[in-house]
Amino acid sequence: MQKLFRWASKWWPGLIPLAVMWGFAAWNNTLPVEADLSARSSAALKDTVLDKTRIAVDGRDVSLAAEAFSEEGRRDAVTTVELVPGVRLVDDRTRLVPEAKPFVWNAERDVVRVTLSGSAPLPSMKARLTEVARKEVGGVEVADQMGLARGAPARFEAAATLLLDQIGKLKDGKITITDTQVNLSGMARDLGGREAIAAALKNLPEGFSIAANEIKAPPYIFQAYKDPVAATVTLTGYVPDNNVHAAIATSASRKFFTEKVVDNLKASIGAPSSFNTAVVAALGALSRLSTGTLVVSDREVKLSGDALYEGAANDIRAGLGKDFPKNWQYKPEITVKPAAGPVDGSVCQQLFTELLNKGKIRFATRRADIDPDSAGILDHLIETALRCPTTNIEVAGHTDADGEDSFNQALSEKRAQAVIDYLVKAGLPASRFTAIGYGATQPVAGNDTDDGKAQNRRIEFLVR
Amino acid sequence: MPYLVSFHMGWLIGSVLLGFCMGWISVVQRGNGTSKVTAYWLAALAVALVAASLAHVVPGRFGYWLDLGLIMFACYLVGCTIGAWLRYWVVSRSQPAA
Repeated sequence: MQKLFRWASKWWPGLIPLAVMWGFAAWNNTLPVEADLSARSSAALKDTVLDKTRIAVDGRDVSLAAEAFSEEGRRDAVTTVELVPGVRLVDDRTRLVPEAKPFVWNAERDVVRVTLSGSAPLPSMKARLTEVARKEVGGVEVADQMGLARGAPARFEAAATLLLDQIGKLKDGKITITDTQVNLSGMARDLGGREAIAAALKNLPEGFSIAANEIKAPPYIFQAYKDPVAATVTLTGYVPDNNVHAAIATSASRKFFTEKVVDNLKASIGAPSSFNTAVVAALGALSRLSTGTLVVSDREVKLSGDALYEGAANDIRAGLGKDFPKNWQYKPEITVKPAAGPVDGSVCQQLFTELLNKGKIRFATRRADIDPDSAGILDHLIETALRCPTTNIEVAGHTDADGEDSFNQALSEKRAQAVIDYLVKAGLPASRFTAIGYGATQPVAGNDTDDGKAQNRRIEFLVR
Repeated sequence: MPYLVSFHMGWLIGSVLLGFCMGWISVVQRGNGTSKVTAYWLAALAVALVAASLAHVVPGRFGYWLDLGLIMFACYLVGCTIGAWLRYWVVSRSQPAA
């Protein structure tokens, strides 16, 4: 041992190169050690739930700044870094995520995007909610503006997910969770969407309640466009059910005698009451226009277009309101089509014949009351009569062979007179018209089939 | 400690070798070494530095450099001891033969 001390007293010169080596070692290794410890600490914290984590290493001392979501999580994070091999000291700069009071979460949808804002309790949940929103709205952009906060109510994620599932059913609107209260506002995308959302809200997790549900249904829209160039009437929008659909389609094909009816209607719930009555009346008015658009939006009817003559325009403006159920609004924007040039009697006759070949003036069965569906063809006949003001016109009534001859004779006369009355009421001079009834004496088809009988029941206009 | 050792293995082996050489020389070197008083002071300094290191009182990079220095110094001492013993063993074996 004595010897060892003697030798040791001579070891000091080696300290000089050792000090030099130490200097080099420190110079070379400080940054690598710091980088290595930083990487190891980050890797160790990978599975811990923290926000805004910042790791700074000075020598072997790690400064850990982060926001934790619970006291336990905060302690665990610090311990985890302390246990990283090589770490000497941990400067604990962690704190708890602030608590939100009240805890508010929003999902807002507008035309271009869905914005998620407010607070989410955990980063992973934030990501999951964004993903749910993304799935629900397809290609629409989802903007995640959620912050993180403690204080979320129990079963928050289930509630938020259920509400996000509804965002696809909204055209625009906002869903808010304030603690356990849910507020909804906005406009449903489709008819029935509001009801579907209301039904889904019944499955909200326990503890959550609806403070306000102000989701509005979109307007119930029915549209008809009469295009004289393509000779079509296009029906679009909604009808309440297949029965009403069929009734409207039948009514349209009777009213629009020269046009082809293009039926693009879809059945959907949510129609206002008396929808059928209002739409049929409005289609009757549209049939009297040469070109026009009908828009029925909830209880509002807008009709715009050109009437065939001034009298018809006034009649449509004034008359239609009476046909509508109460609480309905009628907004006519009727102009008058420029009058066509005058023509001589033979052209007038040709026009009358063409019109009456395309459509028929209809009456109530065995009566002389003109069916309202015939308003369109009568307007066209009146417009034609106005183009040859100097001619006299014989209005001839014909019936089929069913029933007694005397009854048919009287009926044909009454029907011819009813047509003349209609024309006079529209402003034509009574002196130009003569009513003649032929009963069943001049059939144009056999009376042995329904089709033939229908052809025989007719009104003819003859220019004299 | 295991981390420091594994991370600086090359430097520590260097320290051991340096110590080994110094120990090897010290057995046959003539002349006086450090005085007893100086040796005590140096030992006290070493103990103080070790205490400072264990108590983690030196912060940040300086703390790391202190640890590194001490561990290199420890390796140096180990190298010295081994070198001195070996040299002594070699010298004492060859003397009777001479």
